[in-house]
Amino acid sequence: MRGRTALGAWLRLIVGCAAIAGAPIAGRPSAAAQITAAPNGAAPIVLEDAAHHTLRLDHPPQRVVTLLPSITETVCALGEGARLVGTDRYSNWPAMVQKLPKAGGLDDADIELIVSLQPDVVILAHAARITERLRELGVVTFDVETRTYEDIARSVTAIGAVLGVPNQAIKLNRDIERSVNDAAVGARLALSGRTPSVYYEVDRGPYAAGPQSFIGEMLARLGTRNIVTAELGPFPKLNPEYVVRHDPDVIFISATDAPELKRRPGWDQLRAVREHRVCAFDRDTTDTIVRPGPRVAEGFAAIAACLGHVAP
Amino acid sequence: MNPDAVAVPEAVQPAPDPGVSRFALWLAAGAVLTLVLTALSLLIGTSSLRTSIEWLRSPDAQANTVLWQIRLPRATGAWLAGALLGLGGAIAQGLFRNPLAEPYLLGSSAGAGLGVSLTLIAADTSLSGLAWGAEIGITGAAFLGACGGIGLTVLLSRGAMQTASLLLAGIVVGFLLSAVQSLLLLSSPDTWRAMQAFLLGSTGYLNWHSSGLLGAAFLVCMLPTVLLARGLTALTLGEETAQSLGLSIAFLRLSLLAILSLATASTVGQVGAIGFVGLVAPHLVRETRPVNQRQLLIAAPLCGGILLQTADLISRWVVRPAELPVGVVTSCLGGSYLVFLLWRRARRV
Amino acid sequence: MSEPFPLVGRELSVSYGGRRVLERLSVDIHAGAWTSVVGPNGSGKSTLLRALGGLLDLEHGSVWLHGRPVQAWPRSDRARRIAWLAQSSAPADLTVAECVALGRFAHTGWLGALRSRDEAAIARAMAATGAQGWAGRRITTLSGGERQRVHLARVLAAEASVLLLDEPTTHLDPPHQEDIGRLMREQAHGCGVTIVSAIHDLSLALMADRLLVMSEDGLVGHGTPHDAVNGDWLSRAFGKPIKIIGTAGGYAWQPQIGSKPSSGDPATERRPATERRASYRAASR
Repeated sequence: MRGRTALGAWLRLIVGCAAIAGAPIAGRPSAAAQITAAPNGAAPIVLEDAAHHTLRLDHPPQRVVTLLPSITETVCALGEGARLVGTDRYSNWPAMVQKLPKAGGLDDADIELIVSLQPDVVILAHAARITERLRELGVVTFDVETRTYEDIARSVTAIGAVLGVPNQAIKLNRDIERSVNDAAVGARLALSGRTPSVYYEVDRGPYAAGPQSFIGEMLARLGTRNIVTAELGPFPKLNPEYVVRHDPDVIFISATDAPELKRRPGWDQLRAVREHRVCAFDRDTTDTIVRPGPRVAEGFAAIAACLGHVAP
Repeated sequence: MNPDAVAVPEAVQPAPDPGVSRFALWLAAGAVLTLVLTALSLLIGTSSLRTSIEWLRSPDAQANTVLWQIRLPRATGAWLAGALLGLGGAIAQGLFRNPLAEPYLLGSSAGAGLGVSLTLIAADTSLSGLAWGAEIGITGAAFLGACGGIGLTVLLSRGAMQTASLLLAGIVVGFLLSAVQSLLLLSSPDTWRAMQAFLLGSTGYLNWHSSGLLGAAFLVCMLPTVLLARGLTALTLGEETAQSLGLSIAFLRLSLLAILSLATASTVGQVGAIGFVGLVAPHLVRETRPVNQRQLLIAAPLCGGILLQTADLISRWVVRPAELPVGVVTSCLGGSYLVFLLWRRARRV
Repeated sequence: MSEPFPLVGRELSVSYGGRRVLERLSVDIHAGAWTSVVGPNGSGKSTLLRALGGLLDLEHGSVWLHGRPVQAWPRSDRARRIAWLAQSSAPADLTVAECVALGRFAHTGWLGALRSRDEAAIARAMAATGAQGWAGRRITTLSGGERQRVHLARVLAAEASVLLLDEPTTHLDPPHQEDIGRLMREQAHGCGVTIVSAIHDLSLALMADRLLVMSEDGLVGHGTPHDAVNGDWLSRAFGKPIKIIGTAGGYAWQPQIGSKPSSGDPATERRPATERRASYRAASR
């Protein structure tokens, strides 16, 4: 018993010290709290990432590996695509990225390949399993949070800071904000006051996009009503009957699944199916919609355009 | 033993099996349970009980759609799919003389999974693939894949000469095709969630067309099975004994294989790879009453149908209006039943 | 059947896993007689029975049933004429009545219902083995010996003209072993059934009309028990001296485990009348 309380006391002491040590750089996750570098200079970079790890680089990284498509796109949109030496297998935009070495996915990354690329930093999504493993091997990692719409601006700023180009990050954020607003205005004009009910099917199942998901946020921005309610979660697996009962005005679905909508029992009665108010997006368009990254305005515009056409 | 008892009067008959009428009662009880579950299926879904009852009393167009186009065919289809799985399980356990045998042993579910993933990937990557995929659909792809998997197994075991080699070949084919499927999925990760939905099984898309197909398959499978029942009974004594009785083992085995293939392939095509029903249904039957082979081949489908209907109801009700994958529910039910059996056996010892 | 040899094996050669079990073995099974196959483990007793029943693929040689090659018989016809009892049966989930009824499979076929003839045969068979009281019980609930009798009843119910029995008396206690031996004698002599049995128990085997003595090197001898005793076939087959003594009922095996000398000399004296007749019959063949 005494041994245990002593151990507990030691642990608390150690944790306390760590907390004190970390305190000066405390801040919101993935906020670029302390940029102690001159803009676009070759000065040291000290940042805290989404996992509360501190990144210390003597000079901006020249060899960058990214493990998420939206991060890859952000790096390229910041104009620093030349610094990429490797990406994950799902990154496919812009075209130059397709020729880079592919290091697997987020959950099954090719550790050996990453290490062999000798990156100065690996930028990946928050809470990836391989982060610990890479850090053990001495690879510098940087976590970013990339789930919601707000995360986009934050991650652009953070990635800009890591790359040592914070000014370009500010500019990119402004551009994104502007195009999103333009698309939103255009969409509202096209809809002219209507608020159609929508159903966005992410996958066969059917898995729907709820209001808490990124897609759900975008749909809400356009002034539509999601037939899926918030308490069902971001990507619930629905009872197909639910869609029949709520009879959405517009259905969003992938182009591959669109043809068999009619065959689902009861779905041929849906207004959206009968009146052809189905937005079927191909793979490339879907990529812009589901990735919270610099192309968000494109995805936004795609949804808006289709809505404008088909909404009742 | 009386040595003079050789000459016995011809009129002595062995006592008639008193279990026959009791078995008929058991079947009737099963039928009643099925009807009750079907009625519940009409009431349970995304609407509250009160709403459902109101709908039954004064239906509007949408209520009619939900009740008669969605819920009723779903309940019917679930029963038929479960019945086919139960039949498959009883056949598999009799054919392999192994109480752990189940209908997917011959590579049917792995083959179906491979067929579905090929179709999903083809549809995803090219327009012609999309057209072709839409043509046969996930259902057709799963059916063809299941048949392919079983065909590969029979080929590997060289025409099903030995039961043991058939079993081995089935396991090997299962692993092989699953591996190929995993490789394919890696290359096309967007299809992963759709594959997962298929693998976990789903009764959500059963319409009258699918119920009709399943019903036809059920009839085509049940009739020959009942005819082959006596042969299967003889087979339980051992292959050489059955052979000496005048049974053609090859004929029996191939016929049963064909029936098993049709039953599994049609089910997997419609509802995906739902596990445990085929394994557990024959055991549940034997738990409630001792049956001979012919009775088992009739009772196991009934039990399987009831099982899957129950699982479907649970999957629809627990997290409504979302739903659980029905394969998860059957695994939980089946797994807990097996745990219960083990616990009871440990207590007896 | 007026033919003397309903079952004939010619030049039978069978291998198991690279090992030659039967090497060009030829046997003529006598009609209406109980032939007992004896020999050490591995001499091929079961294999011979299987071969004679047409259950094995022969490397060489042929089996003839009632003058026709056994493979030429249609399956059900053959099953009506030869009934085979396996050494051990898989524990099947059947009732006794169902199990014995399976013996009529060759007569009823896949679909046929049991007719009164079938029922009578089943009843007779169950009475003959003392299983008549167990009709409704499941065979998994019976003891080893009881199960053995049920399977014997199944074989008898087939009413075949040739019975091939692989170890029919294992698990049985001595009174039942006697009963089965007596039953086989009655079937052979009374009903003219040809019986070939592989029996481990030498004393029981010596009750048969004829002995087929096998060793690992092949057939040692085929004849009456008297011939076997005279020719000391058993000692040759087992590779050790096997002491057979004459008794009132026939012959018996006396295990040599104590230091006490045996009371009588083997078989040279007191040949019972039946044996004399049998040896005259053999001599006049």
